[in-house]
Amino acid sequence: MNGRAVRALIRKDVLVELRGREVVPSMAVFVGAAFVLFRFGLGGTELAGGTRAATGMLWVAIVFTALVGLSRAFAHEREGRTWDGLLAAPVDRALFWFARTCSTFLFLVAVQVLALPAFWLFFLQEQAGPSYPVLVAAVLLADVGIACLGSLLAGLASSVRAREVLLPALYLPFSIPLVLTAVRVTTDTIPPQTSGLETLERLGFLALYDTVFALLGWALFEYVVED
Amino acid sequence: MAHTARLDRATAATLVAALLMPAAVALIFFYVPSDVDQGYSQRIFYLHVQIALTTYTIFGGGAVNAARYLWTGREELDLQSYVPMHLGVIFGSLTLITGSIWAHISWGTWWDWGSRELNTFLIIFLFYCAYFMLRFSVEPGERRARYSAVYALLGVGLIPLSVLAVRIAQDALHPIVFRSNGVNMDGSMFLTFLVALAAMLSLAVSMYLVEMRGKRVDERMAQLRRLARGAA
Repeated sequence: MNGRAVRALIRKDVLVELRGREVVPSMAVFVGAAFVLFRFGLGGTELAGGTRAATGMLWVAIVFTALVGLSRAFAHEREGRTWDGLLAAPVDRALFWFARTCSTFLFLVAVQVLALPAFWLFFLQEQAGPSYPVLVAAVLLADVGIACLGSLLAGLASSVRAREVLLPALYLPFSIPLVLTAVRVTTDTIPPQTSGLETLERLGFLALYDTVFALLGWALFEYVVED
Repeated sequence: MAHTARLDRATAATLVAALLMPAAVALIFFYVPSDVDQGYSQRIFYLHVQIALTTYTIFGGGAVNAARYLWTGREELDLQSYVPMHLGVIFGSLTLITGSIWAHISWGTWWDWGSRELNTFLIIFLFYCAYFMLRFSVEPGERRARYSAVYALLGVGLIPLSVLAVRIAQDALHPIVFRSNGVNMDGSMFLTFLVALAAMLSLAVSMYLVEMRGKRVDERMAQLRRLARGAA
């Protein structure tokens, strides 16, 4: 792998974000507003379904927030026509996917550094919540999977008409196994129900999900940019 | 010139399906004994499971052709990947409908969120729908074929992961017919199961061949129209 090229590509994405501040602030505002909506949706003062329902909502919020960010992935390449320059560079096209995956992962983590404390503040401080180490591990594993698959699908949708509506439709079926497992792994650690072995098995599933879509993303991205 | 009638593959497959389907229906309704627990209505099992297995097989065929398309770039492989996906939507819808009816008969509810098969199929069905959204968002041509193939191959990752996720995340309710130590059915049930499976697979093959033939005729007509316009 060409480390210098990857570093340069990630640096480009981070610099564009630092200068334009387009993606991370939008995601942060979106997730904050989503939490407020969920809080009122779950009854406002009394939390219907308790922290169990709230934790399920957290995963829905994570997936939708990621979609907000992914809708802008490759936007500069498309609008600024920088693809032509990038494709002229003598690097493996899979590296574009890898660099985009890394920068998407960084943006997701940056938003979650703000979102998870907000989640605790809005939902968890009154009642017993999920195990924080398991929650953080599951969120990081989910971020890897979302970034791997999301970067590929964002590339696919970027040069298609109606891309804004297409990307969620392409991505959401793939998020179901992820959310299904992530919800169970985190809600099962809410007292009194604890299950060590099952937690490991489900975290293992999230790692498997990451591996499968990392391999597919790596192998298939060159067919997405072959124009 | 004497014209000799030749049995083409689509007609042969349709004939096989036309023979096997009534045989399967006769076995299901008149031969196989009723299930001890679920009674007469359990016979929908011989349709539901066969349709589900056919959907998986169709998807497998479509994905293999998608991979072959990306590997070789041969144009006809795009059509050979798309047509199974199209049939997959039809068979996937039938799986959901028959599964829902069976759930209502067995558990008294039209949809059971604890059922592994129903929920896995729901994910697969959504995937198929998204495939069509992608395909019809791109202009016909090489790029559409490439994008469709990429998305179809992502399904190869999604389907086993969905089966696994539903299995490890939910509690078992769906009856388990095939276990690692053998089949949990008696002889007549197994025979009916196999004949019904052969009937459903031959129906899918004949639908595939007929649709392929229709699509090829469409393509030739479009070529002829282009030629006629050029000559005028």
